[in-house]
Amino acid sequence: MAATKGTSSPFPAAGGTAGGRFPGLSGGLVILTAALMLVNLYLIFMVAPTDAVLGHVQRIFYFHVPIAVVSFLAFFVVFVASIGYLVTRRQRWDSVAHAAAEVGVVFVTLALLTGVIWARPVWGVWWTWEPRLTTTLILWLIYVAYLMLRAYVPNRRQGAVYAAAVGIIGFVDVPIVYYSVQWWRSIHPSAVVGPLADAGALEPIMRGTLFFSLAVFLLLFLYLLLERTALRNGEDQLAARRFAARRNNPRSPEEPADA
Amino acid sequence: MPFILLQSQSPANLPFLFAAFAITWLVFFGYAFLISRRRQELEREIREMQPGQEDKRDDTPS
Repeated sequence: MAATKGTSSPFPAAGGTAGGRFPGLSGGLVILTAALMLVNLYLIFMVAPTDAVLGHVQRIFYFHVPIAVVSFLAFFVVFVASIGYLVTRRQRWDSVAHAAAEVGVVFVTLALLTGVIWARPVWGVWWTWEPRLTTTLILWLIYVAYLMLRAYVPNRRQGAVYAAAVGIIGFVDVPIVYYSVQWWRSIHPSAVVGPLADAGALEPIMRGTLFFSLAVFLLLFLYLLLERTALRNGEDQLAARRFAARRNNPRSPEEPADA
Repeated sequence: MPFILLQSQSPANLPFLFAAFAITWLVFFGYAFLISRRRQELEREIREMQPGQEDKRDDTPS
């Protein structure tokens, strides 16, 4: 640390990168998301009607579908940011891709879990190897592999390039998941969002609740993405500082900060 | 299809509904908490590695 004294630091101040580029936006987003989530819960439990066939358990739909859609969006962000990184080799693209992949894995994990919980009372089984479930599990495995690749490749830059390749190729599974209910015989209900959606498939009040829920989960995704990207930038900043400290003062590479 | 929509229903499947919502919230809160805690640690470590930090500490009256 002492070795870096007097030199102009190539890194921004701690409150800059580690605190996020948009600290005010992040704080505002979390408050807005929390408030809208309460409204969302009110709509789901008090306004949306109970399905006559499936009963109350059908309300899982208002979480399950938006979470799944947002996971697709997250992997689209990984796809775009990975292309951006390979073309420009700018660290920012890599940070966004990494953050979106991790947040996307959280979302797709929850899509699988809520789907499994919904399947038990409706289909009578927790899991069945039908096309939508199988392709979604493959999607989960692809992006878990993406995160493992980043964690285990010793050279960070090389890891970023490999991960970008996985992020681009892995995205191919997203349209397969979406169209799986149309391409193969499936017991999973058909799509209610996107190009395959049937306009009359849902009651207007159910559709309204679903899209409101989707908007709220989009905000939650945006908040988590901003936070995770800021964390990743902070990690990079710390690694660079440690590297500089080691290079300038090789005798005390791991000098405790409060020594 | 309004004829299939009812405002009341037997609560037979409520444990599944509860489980789905509870797990969703646990995962989201847990993940947000982990990110937030890691960020606080990082900010502290970066602040402590800031050039001139030792000088500032030395100048602080005891």
